[in-house]
Amino acid sequence: MDKPKLIISSAYAAIIAIIFVVVITVGAELSAPLKDWLKDFFGHHWTSKSIFSVLLYVIATIVLYLSHHKYSDDRLKKTLGFLFISTVLGTVILTLFFMGHYFQLF
Amino acid sequence: MDIVAILQSKPVLIGLHLGFGIIGIDAFLWLLGKLKGDGNSQRSMVITAAIGTVAFIASWLAGGYYYVAYYGTLVKPVIKSGVAPWVHNIIMETKEHIFLFVIPLAMTVFFITLLPKEEMDRLKLRRLALWLSGAVAVIGLLIGVMGFIISATVRWGAIN
Repeated sequence: MDKPKLIISSAYAAIIAIIFVVVITVGAELSAPLKDWLKDFFGHHWTSKSIFSVLLYVIATIVLYLSHHKYSDDRLKKTLGFLFISTVLGTVILTLFFMGHYFQLF
Repeated sequence: MDIVAILQSKPVLIGLHLGFGIIGIDAFLWLLGKLKGDGNSQRSMVITAAIGTVAFIASWLAGGYYYVAYYGTLVKPVIKSGVAPWVHNIIMETKEHIFLFVIPLAMTVFFITLLPKEEMDRLKLRRLALWLSGAVAVIGLLIGVMGFIISATVRWGAIN
C-alpha cells in the first residue's frame, strides 16, 4: 500500500467533502427547491447531505488513490495544511452564515 | 421491550451520541499527546486513531437517528417557542452541519498514523498530524458545547 498517496487522496477528498457540505448547506437554505430535492432523496435534507458527503469522500479517496498521478512530499504537506485551513474556514463560514441568516442579513 | 426498541429510545440515543462523542474527543486528544511525545509506538497511535474514528462514526449515527426521528417534531418546537429560538437557527444548524466535517478529517488523521514513525518524520508530517488531530478534538468539543446549549434551552423552554 502506498501510504503517502492514501493520505493525500484522503486529504483531497476531505477538502472536497467539506466544500460540498458548505456549498450545499448554504445553497439549500437560500433555495427552497434545492432543500426539497434533498428531502425527497432520503426523507430528510440532513440525511441526504450526510450520505452524499460520505459517498463523495469515499469515492474521491478511491478514485484519487487509484489514479496514476504522482504527488511530491511537498504537495502532501501543503494539502494537509490546506485541509486544516478548509476545516477552520468551513466552520467559521457556516457559523457566520447561520448567524447572518437568522438576523436576516441574507 | 426488545433491545432494538431500547436502543431507539430518546434518552439512550442521546447517551450514545454524547458517550461516543466523548470517547472520540478523548482519543484524538490522547493521539495529540502521543504525536507530541516521541516515546510512543506506531501501533498505539493507530489503535488510538481507530478508536476515535469509530467512536465519532457511532456518535454520528446515534445523534443522526435522534435528530431525524425526534428532534424536528419534539425538540425544535420547544426551542422555537422558548426564550431563545436562535439556539435552533444558529447553534443547532451549525452543529448538525460541522459534524459532517469530522469523519473525513478523522479518517485522514487515521491514515497518517499508518505511516511508520521514521517515514512520518522524513515527510515532516508530525506537526501537521498534531494540528489535524487537535482540529478533530476541538470540533468535537465545540459540538459538545453546542449540544449542551441546545439541551439547556429545551429545559428552560419547557419550564417557561
